[in-house]
Amino acid sequence: MVASSLRSFIKDVRGAKTLADERSIITKQSAKIRTKLRDDHLSNEKKRVNIQKLLYLYILGEKTHFGQVESINLIASDNFVDKRLGYLATILLLDESQDLLTLLTNMLNNDLQHPNKYIVALALNTLGCLSSTELARDLYPDVENILQTSNDPYLLRKALQCNAKLIFKDRSLLEIFPLSIISSKLLENPIVCTHGVLLGVCKVLQAIFISLDNTLQKENGKGDTEDESTEQDLQQDITIIRTISDLIPQLSTRLSSLNSKNLEPAYDVQGIQDPFLQCELIVTLKWFFKIGNHLNLDEITQYNNNFNDLLTQLATNTSAAKNPGNAILYEVTKSIFELKLTQPLRVLGINILANFLTPSKNSNTGNNVKYVGLNTLIKVVPEEPASVQRYRKFISQCLYDYDISIKFRALGLTFAIMNEQNLTELTTELVKFLGEISKSHYSYVTSYIDMDDSKDLIVYTVDNLLKKFEIYSNGDEKAKLDTLLTILKISGTFIDLEKTNEFLIALNNMDDMKYKIATFSKELTQILDPKIKANTLIGNASLDLVMIWCIGEYTDLIKLDSSTDKKIVNDNSIVKYLSDLNDKYRLSHDTRMVHYILTAALKLSSKITNGQCVENLRQIIVSHSKDANLMLQTKSVQYELLFNQPDAVKKLFLQAMPKFEKKLINATSVQRHNTTISKAQNQNNDLLLDLLTDTVEKTSPSEVLKPVETKQRDIIADLLASTGNKSQHTGETSTSIPIEVVTLPSDAVSIHDGVELQVYEKTIDISPGLAHLELYIQPKNSKISDIQPLCAVPKTQKLTLSQLRPSNNLDVGKFVKQTLKITGSGKLKLRIKLSFQKDENPASESEQFDYKLDKTI
Amino acid sequence: MSNIKYLLLVSRQGKVRLMQWYTPLTPKQKTKIINDLTPLILARKPKMCNILEYNDHKVVYRRYASLYFICGITNEQDNELLTLEIIHRFVETMDTYFGNVCELDIIFHFDKAYDILNELIMCDGSMAESSKKEILNNVHAMDAIESNDHLDRILS
Repeated sequence: MVASSLRSFIKDVRGAKTLADERSIITKQSAKIRTKLRDDHLSNEKKRVNIQKLLYLYILGEKTHFGQVESINLIASDNFVDKRLGYLATILLLDESQDLLTLLTNMLNNDLQHPNKYIVALALNTLGCLSSTELARDLYPDVENILQTSNDPYLLRKALQCNAKLIFKDRSLLEIFPLSIISSKLLENPIVCTHGVLLGVCKVLQAIFISLDNTLQKENGKGDTEDESTEQDLQQDITIIRTISDLIPQLSTRLSSLNSKNLEPAYDVQGIQDPFLQCELIVTLKWFFKIGNHLNLDEITQYNNNFNDLLTQLATNTSAAKNPGNAILYEVTKSIFELKLTQPLRVLGINILANFLTPSKNSNTGNNVKYVGLNTLIKVVPEEPASVQRYRKFISQCLYDYDISIKFRALGLTFAIMNEQNLTELTTELVKFLGEISKSHYSYVTSYIDMDDSKDLIVYTVDNLLKKFEIYSNGDEKAKLDTLLTILKISGTFIDLEKTNEFLIALNNMDDMKYKIATFSKELTQILDPKIKANTLIGNASLDLVMIWCIGEYTDLIKLDSSTDKKIVNDNSIVKYLSDLNDKYRLSHDTRMVHYILTAALKLSSKITNGQCVENLRQIIVSHSKDANLMLQTKSVQYELLFNQPDAVKKLFLQAMPKFEKKLINATSVQRHNTTISKAQNQNNDLLLDLLTDTVEKTSPSEVLKPVETKQRDIIADLLASTGNKSQHTGETSTSIPIEVVTLPSDAVSIHDGVELQVYEKTIDISPGLAHLELYIQPKNSKISDIQPLCAVPKTQKLTLSQLRPSNNLDVGKFVKQTLKITGSGKLKLRIKLSFQKDENPASESEQFDYKLDKTI
Repeated sequence: MSNIKYLLLVSRQGKVRLMQWYTPLTPKQKTKIINDLTPLILARKPKMCNILEYNDHKVVYRRYASLYFICGITNEQDNELLTLEIIHRFVETMDTYFGNVCELDIIFHFDKAYDILNELIMCDGSMAESSKKEILNNVHAMDAIESNDHLDRILS
C-alpha cells in the first residue's frame, strides 16, 4: 500500500545493478511523479506517496522543483498526516529566496492560530526555516500572539526560535517586540521555563545583539558623515539594551546553577548538565558585555566583575575529562579573549587551552580538542605570549600527532612563539621533527601521511626557519650553521633551488670564517672519503648545490685549514668530485645546477695549481660549449675565454663573494606586505579613487609607486613618463644623491598635524592653468622611512609629483621636500596620503588628509 | 551559539542519506559542497580529528558505523566541540526512536529522521531542544495523531 510503494521504489533504486539501471529507474519514476502530481483528482493518499517519493529523489540529489506547488497544496488539507508531510516537503524543497513563498502566507497564518499545538508548531518551524522579509512582517503578529497567550513550553520555545529568526530578517520588528515577556512570563515561571524555552530566550537575545552589532558597524563604517536613521536606530537599540540588561543576573544564576548541579537525567551528557544550554548562556552573556563595554553602559558594566567570577567558576568546576565539558571550557576561553578580559583570566584561558593539547589517552575525541586548542592559541598568542611560552613542550608534542592539520597548527604556533631566547631550543625540536617527517616521506608504504602533505610540512618548516634566522641573525652563528647543514641533509630533496639560494646567502654572510671553513672541511672529508664514498652521488640537489658553491668559494681556505685531512681532501679529489657532479646533472638535464657547477669550476681553477686538475676543470667547462641550452652554451663559451686569461686577470674576476645585502629578503617580504595593505586601502579609499581620474587599473598608484629596486624604479619611471601618466614618482636611494639638507621656508603654512607627521605647504607660483606647490614633511616623534606620498587632485586637473628630497628616510625634526606641479583648471584641492614605516618596523602606516587652497587656476 | 549551515548524512559508499540546508544556497552550490566534501571526509583516517576547513567555513563530522554525519558550521560563532555533541544527540535520539538505529532505518524512514531533526534543530541551524525525552514525546504524539487520522478515515 502506501508505505510499500515508496518502499519498493527505494528498493528498486538500491537494487539497481549498474549506474545506468539506477538512472533509468530514477528518470522513469521522476516522470511518473511529475504526471501524477499534475492530476487534480488524485486522492490525498496517492499524493502523499508521490511527494514521499519526490523527497527520496531530493535526497538522491535529483531535480524536484516540479513538486514545490503540490507540497504547498498538501498543507492546505485538514488531515494532520497531509499537513505534516506537506510542511516537511516545503521546508526541504523550497528555500528563502523563492517567490512561491507568498503562497504560504495564508496557510501559515491559519495554522498559526490552529487549536492543535502540533500544527502550530509545524507552521512555526516552517516559518523559521523559510522566512522572507515579507513573510516576517506579515506573520510576526501571529507569532507574538503565541508568545503572549500560550503557556505551553513546547509552543513557547518554537515561537521564540521563530521570533529570533524574524527579528534577524527584519530588525524593525524589534521596536514592537514585547521585551518584558522574557522576564515576567518566561524566566520567572519555573514551569514554563524549561531548557528548551531558555535556549529560545538565548536565541532571541542573540538576535537582538547581532542586529545591534550590525547597526554599530554601520555607524563605524560611515565615519563622521551623519546619518540620522542609523543614529536613531542606535538610540533605540541602546534603550532596548538598557531594558534587557536586568536579565543578566537571572541568566547568570541559571548558568551557575546548571554548572554546579546535575539533577536531571534528561539533560545529562556524559556527566555534564546540558552543555548545549550552558554554551548558549555563555554566548548570550558574552554578547551583553561585548555591546555593554563597547557603548559603556553602566547597566551592564556594573556586572563585569560578577561575569569574571562566573567564568572563573565555570573554568574551575567543569570537568575536562570528556568532550561536553571541553565544549564548555572552550566557550569560556572564547569569551575571555573576545572580551579582552583581565590578565589573570587570560592566563586561565591559556591554561585551559594548553590542557587541551594533552588530552587523556582514552578519550577518542582527543584530536578535536587538540585542534581547537592549537587553533585558538595561534589566535591569542599576541595577547599573552609569555603564558603560551610556558607550554612549549605541549606544543612540540603536537608536532608528532597523527593528524596533518594538527601538525600544521603546532608548527604555526611554534613559529609564533619563537624568539631570541628559545630559538636554539625550538630549532633543535624542529630539526628533529624534520628528520621524522623526511623519514616517513620515504617509507611511504608504511607512512600514515600523504606524500604531498609531508612535503608541504617540510617546505613550510624550512621557509619559516629561514625567516626566523633572518630576524634573529645575531644569534649563535655556529649553531645556526650546524642547523642549516642538518636541515639540508635531512630534507634537502624537498627544498627548491630558490630557497637554497637563501641558504647560500646565509652561509656567505656568516662572520665566523674559521668555524665555517672547519665545518665544510669536515663535510668535504666525509663526502670525499673513499671508505664512505658510496654515498657521494646520492646526495640531494640542495646539499650538492651548497657543496658546489663552497668548493668554488672556499677551496683555498679549506686546503689551508689545519683540520683538513690532506690525504682525502686535495686538488685531485675535489676536481674529481666536481666532475662527477657535472656528469650527474648533465645527465639529469638539471640546467640550474650546471650553471653553478660551471661557475665553481671557473673559480676553482684560480685556486689550484695542479696542471692536470686545471685541465680537468677546463674540460668541465668545455663539455657544455655545445649544450642544447643556449644560456649554458653562452656561459660555457664565455667562461672558457675567461679561463684562458692570465692568472692575475682571472684572480680579479674571481674574488670571493662580498657579503650579500640582507635587505634583499626583507625587502621582498615587506614589499609583499605593503602591496596587500595598499590593495586593501585602495578599496577603502574609494573617495581617493574617485578623485583620481578614470578607473582602478589606471589609478593604482600605490602599487606602481612601490618599486623594489632602483633599477625597476627607473623602468617604471620611464614607463610612466612615456605614457604620460599624471602621478610620477621615483624614489631615491640615499647613495646615489649627495645629501642635501632641506629647511623649512618661513612662509610655509602647516596644513596637517597628524600623529606621526607634520606637513607644511608653500605655494611657489600660481598662474592660470598651472600651479607649483611644495610640501614639507616632518616626522614628529620617531624615525620614519620609506615615505610614499600619494596625491590626488580633482578630475579637471593633472598632477605631477617630483622626487622626494633629500631622501625618503628621515630622522625626527628633519624635513623632506615634495614638489607638486598641477595643470588644468578649477579650484585647487588636494587629497594627500602619506604611507611610511615607523622605526624601521616593516608594517607600513599611513596618514591621510585633505587640503584646500582658496585659489583657482 | 549554534549556527549550523547544513547537515548531511553520507554513507561509506558516498551516497547521501539525508540532507538539510539551513542557509539558502543554489542547487549548484549544494551539489558542489556534497561532491567536494564526500571524498574528502571518506578518505580521512579514524585517528584524524573530526574538524576540517572547507572554503570559508569549518566542517565537523562524526562517523557512526557506515554513516558519516557532516555539519557545516559558521566560523567564530559555532563551537566545534559542541557541534559534535549536537550530532551525537541527534544520533542518540534516533537510536531510541528506531531502537538501535541502522543505516537502513534512515534510508526507508527518512521522513521520521527529518521529523526528529526538525525537533532538535530549528530555523537557521540553532539547537531548539536539548532533552531527548522531550523530543521523542513530541514525535510520538505526532505519530499518534497521524494514526488516529488513518483510523478515523477507515471508520468513516
